[in-house]
Amino acid sequence: MMAYFLTDLAELTRHLGRTRQIWQHDARQDWFQTDATTPSPLVAGRPARSAKGFFFAEQEHVFEFDGRYFRETLPRPKPFALIGVSSCDLVALAYQDQFFADDPHYQARRQQGLLVGLECTTPCTHGFCPTVDAGPGARAGTADLVLHPLDDGWLLTATSTQGEDSLRGLSLAAASECAQQLRDKQLADCEQQFPDDHHIVEGARRLNAGEIAEDLWQHLGIQCLSCSGCTSLCPTCSCYGVQDQSSEQTISRRRFWDSCLYDGFQREASQHNPSADAGARVQRFWYHKFSDDFRQDFGRYGCVGCGRCEVTCPGVIGVHSVMKRICHE
Amino acid sequence: MPGQQSVQTICPFCGVGCGMNLLVDHQESVVGVSPQSDHPISKGKLCAKGWSTPFAIEPGDRLKHPLIRTPNGFRAASWEEALEVICFGLEDIITRLGPDAVGVISSARASNEDNYAAQKFARAVLGTNNVDHCARICHSPTVAGLKQTLGSGAMTNSAADIDQADVIVVWGSDATENHAILGGHIIEAKLRGATLIVVDPRRTRLAKLADLHLQVRSGSNILLANALLHEIYRHGWQDQAFLDARCEGAEALAEAVADCSPSRLSEAIGVPASQIQTLARIYGQAGNAMIFYGMGITQFVSGTFNVMALANLALSCGQMGRPGTGVNPLRGQNNVQGACDMGCLPNVYPGYQDVADPAARQRISDYWQCLVPNRTGLTSMGMTRAALRGVFKGMILFGEDPVVTDPDQNEVLASLKALDLLVVAELTMTETASHAHVVLPAASFAEKNGTFTNCERRVQLVHQAIPPVGESRGDWQWLGAIARRLGSKALDWTDSQAVFDEMAAITPNYSGMTYPKLARHHGLQWPCNETAPDGTALLHQTSFPIGRARLIPVHHVDIDEPADGDYPLQLTTNRLHFHYGCGSMSRKSPLLERETPDGILFINPLDAQSLGLRDHSAVGVRSRRGYLETRAILTDDLPPGLVSMPYHFHEAPSNQLTNRAMDPISKMPELKVCAVRVCPLPEGQQPRPIQAILAQTSGSDPQETSG
Repeated sequence: MMAYFLTDLAELTRHLGRTRQIWQHDARQDWFQTDATTPSPLVAGRPARSAKGFFFAEQEHVFEFDGRYFRETLPRPKPFALIGVSSCDLVALAYQDQFFADDPHYQARRQQGLLVGLECTTPCTHGFCPTVDAGPGARAGTADLVLHPLDDGWLLTATSTQGEDSLRGLSLAAASECAQQLRDKQLADCEQQFPDDHHIVEGARRLNAGEIAEDLWQHLGIQCLSCSGCTSLCPTCSCYGVQDQSSEQTISRRRFWDSCLYDGFQREASQHNPSADAGARVQRFWYHKFSDDFRQDFGRYGCVGCGRCEVTCPGVIGVHSVMKRICHE
Repeated sequence: MPGQQSVQTICPFCGVGCGMNLLVDHQESVVGVSPQSDHPISKGKLCAKGWSTPFAIEPGDRLKHPLIRTPNGFRAASWEEALEVICFGLEDIITRLGPDAVGVISSARASNEDNYAAQKFARAVLGTNNVDHCARICHSPTVAGLKQTLGSGAMTNSAADIDQADVIVVWGSDATENHAILGGHIIEAKLRGATLIVVDPRRTRLAKLADLHLQVRSGSNILLANALLHEIYRHGWQDQAFLDARCEGAEALAEAVADCSPSRLSEAIGVPASQIQTLARIYGQAGNAMIFYGMGITQFVSGTFNVMALANLALSCGQMGRPGTGVNPLRGQNNVQGACDMGCLPNVYPGYQDVADPAARQRISDYWQCLVPNRTGLTSMGMTRAALRGVFKGMILFGEDPVVTDPDQNEVLASLKALDLLVVAELTMTETASHAHVVLPAASFAEKNGTFTNCERRVQLVHQAIPPVGESRGDWQWLGAIARRLGSKALDWTDSQAVFDEMAAITPNYSGMTYPKLARHHGLQWPCNETAPDGTALLHQTSFPIGRARLIPVHHVDIDEPADGDYPLQLTTNRLHFHYGCGSMSRKSPLLERETPDGILFINPLDAQSLGLRDHSAVGVRSRRGYLETRAILTDDLPPGLVSMPYHFHEAPSNQLTNRAMDPISKMPELKVCAVRVCPLPEGQQPRPIQAILAQTSGSDPQETSG
């Protein structure tokens, strides 16, 4: 793992941009493709959308059948780099990497993507990454390159072989010990600035201990409009639905992001529905994000503390709202 | 996502007007959406419909070429050919019967620019005021009622005001389903401590969360409002200073409600007198109290009076002109406010300038350089009736599916069949389009620039994200093409901005708006003019457009069709969070379509039991006007005696059953209540879609068919 000092970020962007499309997010909080020769300034923090959709497409065709043969419809993206992925979103991608380890569509994109993380030095609204071990510093093994802002430039750390390779041809000075120390200090300061989130820890404990009254879930279920906002924006949600579409010559199957909060998500053809109850669906969602059972499979909670669900939920049952209700009722 | 760009625009569904970004891939199709975190209303949220936008406009089943009807069905045609057929038809009808034999139905889903073009096309090119749109069946009583009492028929306050309300009364509106993001603001307000009161015959989501739910009988709105006023005046809770300074008619109103005591009316209203007294006390003594209402107020033969009753209530308590107060109609479609503002109504030019006012007519005629007609035109239902009488022969209609959405489907179908020329511009082949002589492919909101006006009067920019699908065109463009062929240059604009600028110059409330200014402000709320260059979030702060507000006493009007021995159940209509209007957009989403089995009848378990129905039992539903088959869903969200159907499903259209009896003032049909009979279908028999039922009974009277 090599650490460098970078005076001008544009130099790195131009370098990576010679062989890749470059994506960043901006003050409008959305990802956009940038012209690497004249890159826009980098914006720290959480964009409205995580980087999930770069790899797990919101909708895509998975195969076609022409009556005789099945044909794969694998994506063939050009190499691309995401510059400025926040630590929480990097952790979420590592989580998705496990889930989609054998998914050729996900992997076809993943192998073309270079992840350049950007560490946060101030907490974002609703964020609680330190509590769920997902930030503000980039977690090991989640990025190819990691940027950290310094007073007079950037600390650039290559954290994977692919990352190290990507820097070839760029003349970089090694980072000083002092820069490393400043990074550690800034991250520690940032962690200190996060508001109290005792309710998250205590809520997760009660959830795992089965201490939550059934009627609280029922009440939260009334507030769930089944909009699919939380699952769309949650960087670790990975459920998808499929649909076959026939045209004159072919049948094509597509998949698209699904949501476990929909009544139809688990409804069977007979109309029997194991999760017909909105409260039960809300409970299941939070169980997936905070249950110790999933921790065994994925090595961590399903929640990376980005706080997007709190922003996007029209029914006011995002993570903070739910956990506070769990603790206070 | 590699290869995508994101384009800032406004959600094409309800009247809340949420900010969304469309994600466009390298093949120029919309593959995703994301919410705008910095949008003043939606603040990073979208509802299920908003999230499903890419499905709603995807090219698969979109109309890609004009179609012309032949004896063997439709054939694809060029635009040239289609325009020729349309112009020949229009000229023929106008020559034979005059311009009032043709008319335009515009679309509350289309942009302001499209709607401005539609009414100008009717008035300046065809020469008729026969122009209307679906506001007729959602908020025409609001326009009529609030115009009389306050002087302006729109939401008095803004969505952001919800944060400042101490009391929120949601009356006849299922806000979390139809205006989900605004409904969410109401949930948020309730959680922070505001008092939430719901008045609705159905136990809606908000009713379940409310401090108080008055589960009233359908059609008792005026009784309840008057009983509340009775309590308020009896206890002296009225805001006398406000009444003295800003209103007229308070004494007459107090007198008119003197005999409307809660105890006397409680039985007719269907709730205990104590609940009425509690609501009167809470509203009468509130700091800031905000009333929201929807179709549960407007869709009655008493629609206009219902609206006036709510205005009486708010004015009496001085709940007007301050943040967190007001009378706030929630509008159903993305641009229904705009379509009204543009003058797509038979009695007003753009900006609600009365066609009967010679000065207004002169002003418009001078501006357009042609003499515009001065006789009030036909409403949409008026066109239906006139077609059945044989005096209305040609209709141009876009972005609306009256066969599914208008009352009394069989009458609507008969009227369309009586036309010599029906032109429908649409995204997909709807029920109405399938009866057209010429079908034109229309561009979706993602394929054009323009503006939408949301229910809080905010005019917002819509940006083109992808090229039009197939040969589809924006509405003002194809209307312009017809106009040119008819020899008129009235619709010769170069781009949507030119349409907007022409409109803003003649529409007083919009006169201070330009595209660059809208872009800078996340939209602007009208009135936006010289005195309010940055728009107006809050109406009636110091005065009303009519000077003093008018308190006009209103009296109970019976519903047109109460339940009786033959039709023992009362049917009401509702909407689902997952669907929008006729379903032509929302039902393209496999996720939303999965949510609801095709067409449904909601019924109380007690009624179901007495009919021998289980959950999902197949049923036949009959009213005096029609018959359909669907499946029952048992729910105690409805009281016994009341059943409900959403109107989104063309295979089981509630409008087979609904009543066309109208509010005499606004011509609003009584969609919210009629009488029906429900019976189980034989075991094992699937519900037949209405198309199959009508095909089997064509030639015979549908009243006499089995079921």
